[in-house]
Amino acid sequence: MMIELCDSSAIGEGEILRVDVDDFPAIAVARHEGALYVFPDRCPHADESLAEGWLEDGRVVCGVHFAEFELGTGAVHNPPVGCPNLSFFKCEDRDGKVFATLAGGPVNV
Amino acid sequence: MCEGGCKGAAKGRPDMKPVYPRAASYPQYAGLVDRKNAQVDRQVFVSDAVYQAELQQIFARAWLFLAHESQIPNPGDFIRTSMGEDDVIVVRQRDKSVKAFLNSCPHRGNRVCMVDAGTKARGFICNYHGWSFGIDGALRGTDGKVYEKDQSFEKAQIGLTPVAQIDSYKGLIFATFDPDAPSLAEYLGPFTWYMDIMLDNDPEGTEFVGGAIKSEIDCNWKFPAENFVGDILHAFWTHQSGAQAILGGGVDLGSRYDELAFQASVYGHGIETNLDKVGNTRTLGYPELVDYVFDLSEKAKDRLGELRARAIGAVSSCTVFPNFSFLPGQNTFRVWHPRGPGKIELVVWTLVNKSAPEHIKEQYRKGVMMTFSPGGVFEMDDGENWEYSTRVNQGFVTRQQPLHYALGLESADLERDLPGHVHKGSLNDANQRLFYTRWAEFMEYDNWTDLQSGETAPPQKKAVEAAE
Repeated sequence: MMIELCDSSAIGEGEILRVDVDDFPAIAVARHEGALYVFPDRCPHADESLAEGWLEDGRVVCGVHFAEFELGTGAVHNPPVGCPNLSFFKCEDRDGKVFATLAGGPVNV
Repeated sequence: MCEGGCKGAAKGRPDMKPVYPRAASYPQYAGLVDRKNAQVDRQVFVSDAVYQAELQQIFARAWLFLAHESQIPNPGDFIRTSMGEDDVIVVRQRDKSVKAFLNSCPHRGNRVCMVDAGTKARGFICNYHGWSFGIDGALRGTDGKVYEKDQSFEKAQIGLTPVAQIDSYKGLIFATFDPDAPSLAEYLGPFTWYMDIMLDNDPEGTEFVGGAIKSEIDCNWKFPAENFVGDILHAFWTHQSGAQAILGGGVDLGSRYDELAFQASVYGHGIETNLDKVGNTRTLGYPELVDYVFDLSEKAKDRLGELRARAIGAVSSCTVFPNFSFLPGQNTFRVWHPRGPGKIELVVWTLVNKSAPEHIKEQYRKGVMMTFSPGGVFEMDDGENWEYSTRVNQGFVTRQQPLHYALGLESADLERDLPGHVHKGSLNDANQRLFYTRWAEFMEYDNWTDLQSGETAPPQKKAVEAAE
């Protein structure tokens, strides 16, 4: 089941926004070249917020150790040792609202 | 660990606020400069105790040169340099301002930046335990696993130690570790009028070209600083053969020396110049450069006036107290970083006008490398002298002997309306006496009120203060 996260207009191009949702760990929503991406606001390396990082050349950059995750595939580049790929939630823009399927955990889309 | 020392901090959590050292007063070292007899005690070049006092009194307080704005144009661009013996990172921020920090992790002190310079840095991660700092110096995170589970760990108040103040003057970035230091503008005082000869002779401003050349010289830092503050005298002996090799003739004073040449000093900063238009530029060995400077000198009359326009390429030299020096005309800019009483690390850059044609910039770059680089003919001449001056003064009996700084004792020029203490002729020890007087002021005074109103303060300022 998809649940509503936020207004689509709240996510500017090239931005990452942290969204808190009841009963789920914090979520990050990003926009790159118009498309929306939803993923856990937690670097897969360790417990650091990705929303405090930034987008660069179609990748999410973790602001702590600068691991880079490709938007879409989640493939990691420049990882600290032991850092896995990032996973994403299925999401869509419905009439100006961002919806995502959080139950069941992230899947690569 | 905290017994008796951590009162007030909740549950012994450490206070990680920056600590800026306090100055003291060392009249016994100030006394090593004998103004009355124009003598300097050789201890100032060899004593480790004096050197440690210099780090505290001078290098932890004075505004020190860090970088040219052109070296770090974009956010994340950085260079690593020193302030005294302290390793410092200078980095352009996202809002285009510049910050500078000690290059030392607040955890165990390890270096967080290993390289000399770089572009678009995202931050600095310590190699030891993974502590990660943003380009703003704030701690962004650690290893990402352990500290996050420690409820008592407070990330927010930890960061790289920032310099106390940072500012720039016409492209040159300076900083100080002293929160109480006066503004950069006040520290430089009217000496900026002379700095503008190089920094403001063209509306488009300046830049550094090429890289930085680093070398070590086994000399006390004050020998090169005093040489550039006012010792053109040495050129007529030290550099005579080098000049002959490059120019096919000796060093020339200029035909109007008696009428034009002078030294000026403000707060220990000093310039000596012969106002001969192109004497320094000629030594770089490119006739086209000489033509460029003649032309520039004509054009710059509107901006700088007749006198300073004659100084752009003239036989001349400058030091900004304590250890930042440059040569108008030859366009070499340099810092003599102290590395103990008997060693310096020298870093050298070449300054050009942004508007200069590419081939002119290229000739400056090559010309400086041929003359004032580790392999440059004039630098080698100088370095050997400074090394022997330092080494020989270590002799136990030798260092009891006085040194003579008394050339031009009667040469004060009270008529010429120029900023600072002005002396007739560039062949003079006047600026060097004032350089060591400034050194003594830093040793003596623990506060900036005294520091900015001593003997080296510009005369007009003293007159104004007396009238108040």
